[in-house]
Amino acid sequence: MRHPTDGVLRRLLDEPAGVAEADRRHVADCAQCLAALAATREDAALVGAALTAEADVDVPAAWARLSTAASASAAPVRAPAPVPARSARRGRFGELVRRPAAAALAFGVVLAGAGTAAANDWLPIFRTEEVAAIGLDSADLVALPDLEAYGTVEMTGDDDLRPVPDAATAEAESGLDVPEVDALPSGITGEPEYQVGGEVTATFTFDADRAAQAAAEAGETLPTPPAGLDGASVRLVAGPGVAQVWQSGSGAPGLIVGRAVAPSAFSSGIPFETVRDYLLSLPGLPQDVAAQLRTFTADGSTLPLPVPSDLVTTTTEDVDGEEATVLATRDRTLAAVVWVEDGEVTVVAGAFDTGEVLEVARGLR
Amino acid sequence: MPAFAVALPAGVITRIGGRDGVPVPDAPARGALRPDLDVVFRREYERVVSVAARVLGSRDQAEDVAQEVFLAFNRSSVPAGEAGGWLSVAAAHTALNLIRSGRRRASNEETAASAVPLAEPDVAEVVVTLEERSRVRAALARLPHKQAVALVLRHSGLSYAEVAAALDLSPGSVGTTVRRAESALRKELTRHASSH
Repeated sequence: MRHPTDGVLRRLLDEPAGVAEADRRHVADCAQCLAALAATREDAALVGAALTAEADVDVPAAWARLSTAASASAAPVRAPAPVPARSARRGRFGELVRRPAAAALAFGVVLAGAGTAAANDWLPIFRTEEVAAIGLDSADLVALPDLEAYGTVEMTGDDDLRPVPDAATAEAESGLDVPEVDALPSGITGEPEYQVGGEVTATFTFDADRAAQAAAEAGETLPTPPAGLDGASVRLVAGPGVAQVWQSGSGAPGLIVGRAVAPSAFSSGIPFETVRDYLLSLPGLPQDVAAQLRTFTADGSTLPLPVPSDLVTTTTEDVDGEEATVLATRDRTLAAVVWVEDGEVTVVAGAFDTGEVLEVARGLR
Repeated sequence: MPAFAVALPAGVITRIGGRDGVPVPDAPARGALRPDLDVVFRREYERVVSVAARVLGSRDQAEDVAQEVFLAFNRSSVPAGEAGGWLSVAAAHTALNLIRSGRRRASNEETAASAVPLAEPDVAEVVVTLEERSRVRAALARLPHKQAVALVLRHSGLSYAEVAAALDLSPGSVGTTVRRAESALRKELTRHASSH
């Protein structure tokens, strides 16, 4: 495969989700591309620092000036060139905002992390009882091992979210209670769109030959697979789920409240711990992350949520007696609360600060 | 919950609305204020100043640009919900035009002296001096306009899709455009550093 372009490498820094999977895989295994990626990152950081300017402004004084000028506006004002309008993101530019879009997309990766991990990577035998964030540098995201190189990953089930007309239909089709929001945060009004997704199963079957070949191509030595692993499968089941999505004033989703049957996993023919420890030893997984994962999955009940720690902060809070993981982009443009209760995982996410999403989360009925 | 987890945030990020924000006949009459101007102003002013300040390096000048841009918005029929992106793009264009047209009186030294308070870079090893900042801005003025706008918008937080739509680029070419701009600016900084 030819090397991805400079533009693709640049986007990988900001919007990894916008880069094709094949390109990400290539970059992760290509020393030349990793070097180019590092140089790209350096340039972006340097220019970003050079262009940084904090806009510490007196808004009331500026408004007085504008309203006076607009009211009196006899003098012609030079208009900027007509430009396409874009949807507004809720502005919180009071502090240094260097990469809000990058953070937003990384945030997408964060929330996708549960699913991605479930589908491709670590498949502990567990019944999710809680969610815990695992810190990653965003650069590590491209280095995470793709388990398709080590066997087959088969996804089955209804993995598309589809809109349904109302809460009653959503409940009927998902079998879940649709959480009711007590009070919408400011800026959010109207009725949500209801969406439903079905149960999804991901099955990973280890293939020793394929794994050895993949490791050799990457210049790595595959750790010796434990006896009985070849051909063994791990199966993870999650869903169904239901989501309510409110539009913000800009027309973009402003608040999302989702609930789904939490993932659980099963293995075939081999103790789970054996599979887990072997997968964790595969080349490409950062050792510190592997160590964290071992800790997190020791009791077989914690769903690891990979978080790009340079972009997202994580804390824990209490939501109605359950420990919840709170995620917030460092620029404070997005926040989410995720928790598990009675085998169901609930997420509240939106373009708000953590206090506001927690208020919504605690007000769910 | 794979699909669930992926679909929810993706919607927040990727959904883009858009209509051309060109002033139209039903815009407010001269002297009148759009009824939503107050709300939009209070919500977006700081961000608009921030975009212009990245180009100009001066908060005072950035506020002048922001005033111009909001006055233009007041005369337009851009929906309030789309104002944020429209204003950011307009601020970038206007500020770049300003430094290109020579209307900017300040010399590099004056710029450095009046530079806005500088926030801490989030990459610890990146240290950029005031002089380097003013050099970067001079180099910014020499970049092809599209590259410069793409760079400023990207560093102001617009997504690749938003930058693409603003500049009539494909999302795939935004990365290339931004990368070229950063490479050019990096060379400017490196060239100067090596001459000392």
